[in-house]
Amino acid sequence: MRLENVWLRYHRRGPWVLRGVDVRIGPGEVAVVLGRNGVGKSTLLQVAAGVLRPGRGRVSDRPGRVGWVPERFPADQPFTVARYLTGMARVAGLGRSAADDAVTAWTDRLGLARFRAVRLPELSKGTAQKVGLAQAILRPPGLLVLDEPWEGLDAATRELVPELIDEVLAADGAVLVSDHRGETVRLPGARRWTVADGALTEETPSADEAVAVVEVAVPASRVAGTVARLRADGHQILRVRPDAAPPARPAAPPIRPAGELAPERSGGTDAMVEPATGEAR
Amino acid sequence: MIALVRLRLAGFLRTGRALAPLLAGLVALGTLYGGGRAQPAEAYGVSAVVLFPVLAWQTKILLDVEPDVQRRLAQVSVGVARERSAGLLAAGVAALATVAVALVFPWLVGGVTGPVDPGDRSVPVGLALGLWAHLLVVPAAVALGALASRASVGGAGYGVAVLALGGVGAVVLGLTGSVAPWLAPPLMATARASAGDAAALTLLGLSVWALAWSAAVVGGYLWRRRAQG
Repeated sequence: MRLENVWLRYHRRGPWVLRGVDVRIGPGEVAVVLGRNGVGKSTLLQVAAGVLRPGRGRVSDRPGRVGWVPERFPADQPFTVARYLTGMARVAGLGRSAADDAVTAWTDRLGLARFRAVRLPELSKGTAQKVGLAQAILRPPGLLVLDEPWEGLDAATRELVPELIDEVLAADGAVLVSDHRGETVRLPGARRWTVADGALTEETPSADEAVAVVEVAVPASRVAGTVARLRADGHQILRVRPDAAPPARPAAPPIRPAGELAPERSGGTDAMVEPATGEAR
Repeated sequence: MIALVRLRLAGFLRTGRALAPLLAGLVALGTLYGGGRAQPAEAYGVSAVVLFPVLAWQTKILLDVEPDVQRRLAQVSVGVARERSAGLLAAGVAALATVAVALVFPWLVGGVTGPVDPGDRSVPVGLALGLWAHLLVVPAAVALGALASRASVGGAGYGVAVLALGGVGAVVLGLTGSVAPWLAPPLMATARASAGDAAALTLLGLSVWALAWSAAVVGGYLWRRRAQG
């Protein structure tokens, strides 16, 4: 898919939100869209998904099946979770039986099984967001567009999002994802697009992006505050664990490339953080 | 697209907001038929005029009941053309259901009578003319309601203004001697034709007029949707 010289503004005399965006994403690729609040990340994603039509320029070669997870799922609808998802599966072109199977499979996987008979307006924000995620992937999409998909999700589902992205990529789909929480560190192979002043620039990976893992021990009562402060400083929290037993490895861990930052399952640190490496979080 | 039509109809019916235009229609028809009995063609001609703003309002409610983001999700799933068509089709189906109620209603309250004089139309002919008059109203009302919907005009105030202007304009511009009758759908002309001499050519002309007006207003709706993004 390619965005060719895309310009967009919301009103005829309004300011241009996107200015001459020209970018391409191919099958099996994932791109993370970064930028400050209000710079046009969601606008760019909606243009890519086909929700918004560019004022100038065009979008070409968009895959036939697109899944879009909006930033806020529209929960103000008079359906139960199961009725809504079945309806959306049918809208996406699945037959009755296939739709039922897909809804059962995805509600189980996303932890929505016990909410199937609950009406959408009664769901919590995070659960509604899971419904928003489910509707986009009931039928495997050729392009999956995720607008802040981690927002409001519980830890288990946050871990699941990269898994879902990998599955789309493995099926030769493309994925676009925006994020301001630093969660995209879970997508080490992603291309990084930064939106600023209506223009899009792609960060090219370099050796400078190698990161280090620092293990920090803090009193248990100060964990929450420390984690929040480190996140606010742009660091990525990889793990928090209760005991302070020393790690069974060298005290000063070697500097590793970002692609090797998967949290280790053993070791003895209270918190593992990495320094920010130029990406917006 | 049929799945989307069904989803939208289900959303419309489950909110309970479907009741408001239906009740308004029944009150209007009750008032219309409460004054005495008329022959089917004549009664149905006026009934169609009365139903026009009701069906347009019903269409606006049906389209507005769906959250904006949900409408965009549907657009991503089925594409722009089918998303627009599904909305119009769902509104058309809902309008036909209301028309069916309007056609049965006068028989339940004794508002219609059979032929009285030798020259009067038979009941089947009257029914056929009545059905035709109501079917002409459906596309025009759906078009006006769609044009007044939130997705088309944005703010709620503009939608009400479009609805009111269209409803009143259809009656005022349709009066005998109107300077610009073609600006409105031929509701009044259809009522006059139902009550008087309904020549085949007249019926054909009115049908073409109604469809052309509806097509023009649907064109305006689609243009507005395109402009709204």
